[in-house]
Amino acid sequence: MNPVLLWFHQLGSPPAFDRFAARWAPVGFALALVTMAIGLYGALFVVPADYQQGDSFRILYIHVPAAWMSLLVYALMAFYAAIALIWHIKLCEVLAMACAPIGALFTAVTLATGSIWGKPMWGTWWDWDPRLTSQLVLLFLYLGVIGLNAAIEDRRAAARAAGFLAIVGVALLPVIRYSVTWWNSLHQGATIKLFGESTMDASMTWPLWVMVLATKFWFVGSLLQRARVDNLAREANKDWARASAGVPR
Amino acid sequence: MSYLEYVIGAYAVFVLFLVWDFVVPRLRLARTRRNIVLRAKREAARLSGNPA
Repeated sequence: MNPVLLWFHQLGSPPAFDRFAARWAPVGFALALVTMAIGLYGALFVVPADYQQGDSFRILYIHVPAAWMSLLVYALMAFYAAIALIWHIKLCEVLAMACAPIGALFTAVTLATGSIWGKPMWGTWWDWDPRLTSQLVLLFLYLGVIGLNAAIEDRRAAARAAGFLAIVGVALLPVIRYSVTWWNSLHQGATIKLFGESTMDASMTWPLWVMVLATKFWFVGSLLQRARVDNLAREANKDWARASAGVPR
Repeated sequence: MSYLEYVIGAYAVFVLFLVWDFVVPRLRLARTRRNIVLRAKREAARLSGNPA
């Protein structure tokens, strides 16, 4: 068998995943903290204040990466859920359900920081604008997935039901992404583009890209950590789980 | 205007959420491990005929 495929097969085994997560989750968090320290230093102390928004524009260095993560994590959750539903891979159920609280966290950060920025800039904490409203619906979807997963006692049935909800909710992602172009929106259009020229000066964008990278590292650390806990709880009766918890043989 | 209080508020929210995301799974991991150990002790006591 191809060595990469073999590695993936081995990783699908719960004890192998437990060892993998225990080893790499701290690395994810450490890389996140280092890159975040660089990004936040640049965002708060290096880049100059905006000529119109003053220092309030510095909020975008956490708001935009969190917003992108809220969409990316949802897409990944639905991807894992689809694999789990089609091929019945237990680890993918675990990973899909571990994505939900992290995605909800990034969505909540997006909404909270956007609201805090909106007060001085728009004069209001909240507006039923298409982008804000669709982002709020995304938070409710995440909470729905978390709630459904927690409400059903059988862990596999719970993950299947919540995974199905996650897959259906993917339809919301393009609505959020294009809400600022499809409707008249108080929220500005895209100023920072992954592909194409951004309308923000390059001297002000580098901390943003560093923060985008930092949130990815954080996600890796958090996903592995959360999935490890769920994996251990599901396998609590197995010998490897007892050994991992420190039960003498 | 600097809007410093809004910047501080937004960054404080960000840090608080990250701390929560870091701490809660660790607490759950510790609780799960403790439950596994307690269950193993109960089973061992039952098998040996002694009440735990």
